[in-house]
Amino acid sequence: MTPHSRIRRMGWFAALAVCALLYLTLHLKVHAVRSEVIRSERQIVALEQQKLLLETEFQTRSNQLQLEEWNRVDFGYTAPTAAQFLENERQLASFGSPRAPGAPEPIRVASASGEAPAYPKLVSPLTGKPIDEELVEPERRANLSGVRLAEGTMRIPLGAVIGSSQ
Amino acid sequence: MNSFAVQVQVPTGRIRLADVRRRALLVAQLRVLLIGAMFAALAAGALLRIAYLGLVQPAPAERSMAQALLPSRGEITDRNGLPLARAFPAYALWYNPGAMDDGGPPLVRSPKEVAAALKAIFPDVDEFALARQLASGKAGYLRRRVLPEDANKVYAIGELALELPRETDRHYPQGTMAAHVLGYVDEDGLGHVGMEAALDDRLRDPARRGEPVALSIDARVQGALEDELKRGMLAVDAVGAAGIVLDVDTGEVLALASLPEFDPNKMDAEGQKYVFNKVTNQVYELGSTFKPLTVAAAIDAGTVTDLSHRYSARPFPIGGFTISDSHDLGASLNVPEILIHSSNVGTAHVVDELGAARLKQVMADLGMNERPYIELPARGFPIWASGDWPRLRAMTVGYGHGIAVTPLHLASAYAAMVNGGIWRPATLQRVEPGQANRGRRVFRASTSARMNQLLRMIAVYGTGRNANAPGFRVGGKTGSAEKPGSGGYNKSSLVSTFAAAFPMDRPRYVVIAMLDEPKAVAASSFQRTAAWNTAPIVGRLVPRIGPLLGVLPDETRDIDLSDLQPLVGDDGSEG
Repeated sequence: MTPHSRIRRMGWFAALAVCALLYLTLHLKVHAVRSEVIRSERQIVALEQQKLLLETEFQTRSNQLQLEEWNRVDFGYTAPTAAQFLENERQLASFGSPRAPGAPEPIRVASASGEAPAYPKLVSPLTGKPIDEELVEPERRANLSGVRLAEGTMRIPLGAVIGSSQ
Repeated sequence: MNSFAVQVQVPTGRIRLADVRRRALLVAQLRVLLIGAMFAALAAGALLRIAYLGLVQPAPAERSMAQALLPSRGEITDRNGLPLARAFPAYALWYNPGAMDDGGPPLVRSPKEVAAALKAIFPDVDEFALARQLASGKAGYLRRRVLPEDANKVYAIGELALELPRETDRHYPQGTMAAHVLGYVDEDGLGHVGMEAALDDRLRDPARRGEPVALSIDARVQGALEDELKRGMLAVDAVGAAGIVLDVDTGEVLALASLPEFDPNKMDAEGQKYVFNKVTNQVYELGSTFKPLTVAAAIDAGTVTDLSHRYSARPFPIGGFTISDSHDLGASLNVPEILIHSSNVGTAHVVDELGAARLKQVMADLGMNERPYIELPARGFPIWASGDWPRLRAMTVGYGHGIAVTPLHLASAYAAMVNGGIWRPATLQRVEPGQANRGRRVFRASTSARMNQLLRMIAVYGTGRNANAPGFRVGGKTGSAEKPGSGGYNKSSLVSTFAAAFPMDRPRYVVIAMLDEPKAVAASSFQRTAAWNTAPIVGRLVPRIGPLLGVLPDETRDIDLSDLQPLVGDDGSEG
């Protein structure tokens, strides 16, 4: 046998040994992880049981009969009467008194939340297509856009509606 | 070895050399084959191991956790998920004489000393019996259930033979509440009496017991019902009480109570005496509470079309028997007055016009001729006369005598009368919205609407005034029936019932309260009748449960009685 083949043979053995070693390490690692998982699961089970125990104890100590007894001896709560319920805003408003003559005007602040729906556009009776508003009312449009920039969205139109209704 | 031989033979010549080379090649090939085979074997081994892990051996860790967390018996909860019965890891006290394992006596100290130490922890044990058991050297339970703090004290005694194994036990956190609905579990793990018996297979099935079973019971309503019934029962010194709260649209039982109760956590001979369920198993002649059903049948059949029609209220002789009222109600009564004053004679005349066959048919449609529909195993069979009913029988049935049914029958019948006319079986399992039983139509919707008015009138003007909780629009009928004894009816022992529904402008719940043999005491103004003992129970109960069930009190709202009010005068006079 040549030294070359001997080296090759030793190489095979070495490769085998390394593979076996790697396999063993992996195997041990897998086992370690698995036992860790089992331990964690046992811990989970123990904690779940403890939770069950405490929860049950709490519910037993706070059962309906016990609560009733405490209520009778210590608290004396009774069922609410009709006067203690409000069904809606209308009922709440009915408790208020009407405005007396000469009372100061209530302060009203208008605001709108979210996006307002698109304003319907002026349509040409001939073509059926929307007309460019600047062609119809160039001055008003310029005014409006200026106001919007200065005052914030939608404040002015709503204020105008309130003003007109009063 | 081989290499040495080859080296020796090398110088011997060409032929030899060729031979050696061939052999060396052969050896090398053989070794390669051997190593290859080893690798193949290893690979095959690994593959087989993988296959074994994957196929044969079930995943051990996962199974252990799922099993450990799976209760030994399924949990029962109320409709809102509050546990009413659960498997609970508890301690037991077990005597294991072999624990010392040294050939000597099982206990370090004498049995008497150990028994005395145990007596100090558990004051209720019989010390001498315990000492005898410890001395006998036989393994066995010393105690079935031990509290954790007591378990620590037992450990502190320091006897190895006293073992405290953890055992899963059935525990009812709410104590005696809803005992008749739940039942109990015996030492062999079998359910008895209530839903523990009815759902026994479901609760023990390993595939399904991990999921809790939701009942239709609402623990808060059940607690309030039991509390008010018990208070009412003790106030008038009754021997028993029963009550039920039923959803009229689905047939769900929200509360069901039978008093005196038993403790499912501690079943003994004392508890066994009370396992009988008065709501589903005991049949009673429920008396005047049947009158609205009779009137509803007559309105439905078209024999009562005019509620102002007046019927004679004079004693009514028929078949050697005279039907009379408890007190004089004048010469004649109209239909609302018959109900408000609870007149037997008036009802008898209504039945006479209706006809026995039609009344029997309506009663059968209301389920009065069979056991009540509910999951509980104990259901009483009504006392129901078969064949054609003679006139007298029909008349007595019309005011609730000569027929005996369970309070549950009455609750289902009232639900059908107020909900628009549909009879549905009662159930103790939670019904998902829209899944209610379709039921069968017994009364027309118009009849039901009329009966809602009449029931409300009884609570406003008549015998049910004590149940008229402000703002809840309660309507209902009293019933006080004498109990049959040896040789006829017993004048002084009554069954008082109040059958109610609320709110009458859109009825949602039926409430039945019943007292068995109430006494005439100061708390009931020295009266035995339902108006003075069971009606106040309902009057106190409804304000407690109404807001919990989504019925808010409202003084501004009521069912319209304006068309019937003139028929009964301004205040309906005496009740």
